Amino acid sequence: MLANIDSLMHGFTVALTGYHIMLMVGGVLLGILVGVLPGLGAPNGVTLLLPLTFSMDPVSAIILLTSLYWGALFGGSTTSILFNIPGEPSSVATTFDGYPMARQGRATEALTYAFLSAGFGALVGIIVITLLSSAVASFALRFGPPEYFAVYALAFASFVAFGGGAPVKTIIALGLGFGFGMVGTDTVSGSMRLTFELDQLIRGISFLVVVIGLFGLGELLLTIEEGPEFKGASGRIDPREMFRAAARMPRYWFAMLRGSAVGVWMGITPGGPTAASFMSYGIARRTSRNRDNFGKGEPEGVIAPETADHSAGTAAMLPMLSLGIPGSATAAVMLGGLMIWGLNPGPMLFLEQRDFVWGMIASMYLGNVIGVVLVLATVPLFAAMLSVSFSIIGPIIVTVCMVGAYTVAGAPFDLWLALAFGAVGYLMKKLDYPLAPLILAMVIGDKAEDAFRQSMLSSSGSLGILWSNWLAGTLTTLAILFLCWPFVALLLGRRSAAEVAITPAAGHEENRA
Amino acid sequence: MLTRFHLELGFAGLVLLIGATGLVGSSGLDFGWGADGPRAGYFPFRVAVILVAMATLVAVQAIINRAALRRVVVAEPEGLRRVLGFGLPIIGLVLVAQWLGLYVAMALYLLVVIRWQGRRPWHTALGVALGVTVVTFLIFEIWFQVPLLKGPLEIMLGLG
Repeated sequence: MLANIDSLMHGFTVALTGYHIMLMVGGVLLGILVGVLPGLGAPNGVTLLLPLTFSMDPVSAIILLTSLYWGALFGGSTTSILFNIPGEPSSVATTFDGYPMARQGRATEALTYAFLSAGFGALVGIIVITLLSSAVASFALRFGPPEYFAVYALAFASFVAFGGGAPVKTIIALGLGFGFGMVGTDTVSGSMRLTFELDQLIRGISFLVVVIGLFGLGELLLTIEEGPEFKGASGRIDPREMFRAAARMPRYWFAMLRGSAVGVWMGITPGGPTAASFMSYGIARRTSRNRDNFGKGEPEGVIAPETADHSAGTAAMLPMLSLGIPGSATAAVMLGGLMIWGLNPGPMLFLEQRDFVWGMIASMYLGNVIGVVLVLATVPLFAAMLSVSFSIIGPIIVTVCMVGAYTVAGAPFDLWLALAFGAVGYLMKKLDYPLAPLILAMVIGDKAEDAFRQSMLSSSGSLGILWSNWLAGTLTTLAILFLCWPFVALLLGRRSAAEVAITPAAGHEENRA
Repeated sequence: MLTRFHLELGFAGLVLLIGATGLVGSSGLDFGWGADGPRAGYFPFRVAVILVAMATLVAVQAIINRAALRRVVVAEPEGLRRVLGFGLPIIGLVLVAQWLGLYVAMALYLLVVIRWQGRRPWHTALGVALGVTVVTFLIFEIWFQVPLLKGPLEIMLGLG
């Protein structure tokens, strides 16, 4: 533990340069912008910025991208509260009580609760990372290919068991991700796979283009369908009201701690911020003393999802850094970034790239403080920006997405791909197919396959190696159990076939109501 | 009116098609299990099989529950019109970008969409179209030196 504090201090010396603080401020501001605009969310905000970081030093690049992530998480809550339009999927739960509060003229109060509890949740997440990441990494250093494959399999399987979507649809999303990820050159044998002799497919399908399509254009189409009109509460912030609300925050300590715990858990296991915020809201609504007031403007209904959202967002960085497994769609994009910058995500980072790892962790503390301050200061500005009609902002976002899709590889064909995935993303959202597993499978699918094939090479083709020691054996068995659980539940009559194949269980629906 | 039932079937059909394409694509590869583990086509083939099977499952369940799913309207005609009105011009944008370059395409797209779909006056549409394009050019070509797709116009102007 003490060694970690020491490393963290070293990290601060890396992160605390004028240039890096400038990047944090810039990243957070861009992030708030991305978070406020519907159709631009954290995953594709990071994706759009990624090609511009290829020439940067990795520490600076990750500071810029993570700051953008924090900004996006904060920005998403602003529109949820003021306009009842979630700027991010993970801030949907914030609309349930945030918007009613704003309608009652308590917008300042709701925003203050949201940002401070979000900052608190993020802090808890970062402390967990500071304390645990190097321990997890040094544990993971003993991993060989079989253990890695088992961890990957467990990550995929836990989406199926706990992801919140219908299990069959989660498997389809994973399968599509694996399939699209396989297009191109096979890394083990060097042969071409699924390219159908099309030149454009030889270099594979970039997951960045897929993110821009699914999360960017798809989300825009959904927003436009609902006929977005930014008719909301005023974004004016009254400083005195803000301080009074801040002084009332300690009263909700239990909701904040519980939300953080839910968030940290969902961030480390790949549930992600969206699932975490819904879950935290659901628990708070069922157990709170003020449960009758939920949905009508209850502060706890803002605090619970916000703390969980942000602690999940930050905690998702823990498995990304120490195991090379992203805990959310945004973390998956960043993981792809690490590989592009020439870093090898996983436990070796902690030995070989100390400056990078601890510089990034230290910057997370500072980035979130900057985030809270900046978002409070700029709410009126961004609220005013949304009053510009969507018929102007929408098309501009489309061009930003298209430019982003082109910069990934400089290929005109990628524009068509982004377009196609935009349509697919729209349909998937309409039908409750989860999107995050698709991205996760695309980013780490080939790593999982490599790990599997390397294991088989060393065992000369025997599957027994996956159970050759207690660690790999336990993980593999758990993965199989998780994968089979929904179908076992079906056989036991605990779930109906329609729940497994078409829509999530009734419990999840209730959370959304 | 589009119901959830039709959309479920439609998307399951699309997944089925992707799965079938994967089957065709991987059947040309060696998809067996060699002496040292799976061959190149092993995983593509199995993923394709899983996609086909799961898509069939969704379709079957949708048909069994069709009565309930038919009652769920996924898109009102008005919303659908908005989606198409927003989506079709994007196809135009991509099409034009292929031969005139991204800058010209985005300027035309913004101009057309804001003028006719947004029903904004000419000066607003023109201002946004030119402004966004010029700012994009400055950010990408000058500041970050990331070249974007260019067409005959840029070459004529000596910018390509």
